[in-house]
Amino acid sequence: MKFFSQSFLYDDPWSIVSLAFFLRYPNPYAAHVISCDVIDRHQTESGSLLTTRLILKRGALPRWAPQGIISRAESWVIEESEVDPFGKFVRCRTKNLDHVKVMQVEETQLFEQNGDGYVSLILHRRVALTAVPSSRTVQTTEAYITSKFGWGMTKRIESHGLARFKAHVQRSRQGVSLILDLIRQARLQPMALGSYITHLHSERSFASSDTPASSHSPDNAGHTPEEYSSPTTENTWLGKIWGSR
Amino acid sequence: MAHSLSPECTPLKHEYDACFNTWFEGYLEPAIANANTKGHSQSQRIDYSKLKKEEYDRKCGSIWAKYKDCVQKAVTEKGLGELLSQARQENPLREPP
Repeated sequence: MKFFSQSFLYDDPWSIVSLAFFLRYPNPYAAHVISCDVIDRHQTESGSLLTTRLILKRGALPRWAPQGIISRAESWVIEESEVDPFGKFVRCRTKNLDHVKVMQVEETQLFEQNGDGYVSLILHRRVALTAVPSSRTVQTTEAYITSKFGWGMTKRIESHGLARFKAHVQRSRQGVSLILDLIRQARLQPMALGSYITHLHSERSFASSDTPASSHSPDNAGHTPEEYSSPTTENTWLGKIWGSR
Repeated sequence: MAHSLSPECTPLKHEYDACFNTWFEGYLEPAIANANTKGHSQSQRIDYSKLKKEEYDRKCGSIWAKYKDCVQKAVTEKGLGELLSQARQENPLREPP
């Protein structure tokens, strides 16, 4: 089993980063995500929102993989998330449902507000300290990569998985930053953010409907990444590990 | 990924997503509005939660029911039912901390 852990600080408030997390599809870095559906969603009594999503991702095998190691280059991934607007955290666990014996990647992400700060104000000629919401968010990512394949390949598969996962974390952050930019821009618009983003989603020409299954064309922004990886969580592992060809 | 696992569910998905995204923005409001939300009492949280749940049911309830049905049917058709229920049994997020 391989383990990976990393933290990253976003220069945006928790509420915006959480919104970006839920609205992250589609985006140019996630062209290999074929479908995403909410299969369950409910609120707990204390006000947390629990969501379960089922996502289908396309991927390609590394060149050294034996023929027939996987019957098809697609994987079902389940994402379970919890949002607590009072405690200000989003917790999310993602893992693949099939091809588990070959490799299972279980990724956990936690988005938390990065501590509240204080500013001093001059009010009526007196200095007062007032609490301001922190404008930063910490994202902590952990992943467990396990293979039960055997045949002397286990370690190689796990190492490959971990290496690809690490190599694409930076790209996934760029994806989140992209969505955060969109949200910041949207907040300048008169319409509600949610509908604005949905409006953007429906217009984006890089939506996966245009992408044929066997090719990965460069995205509209002019980047030509070898592999696509999504901003965060679930679809990162497949894109990062198997890559796209 | 603007698609559902089954093409016939895709328009329902879009409609549901639009409704949810708008509601969700409002749902995050306590976090936006308050510097320190950890000071909220349990009863405040419960009240807020009820309010938000009612709003969600009112606005998105019917489209959610249709979308959910469509997805459940597609999941069964694709034979994913058992895989899903196994995975969900191991869910560590079932109860909030």
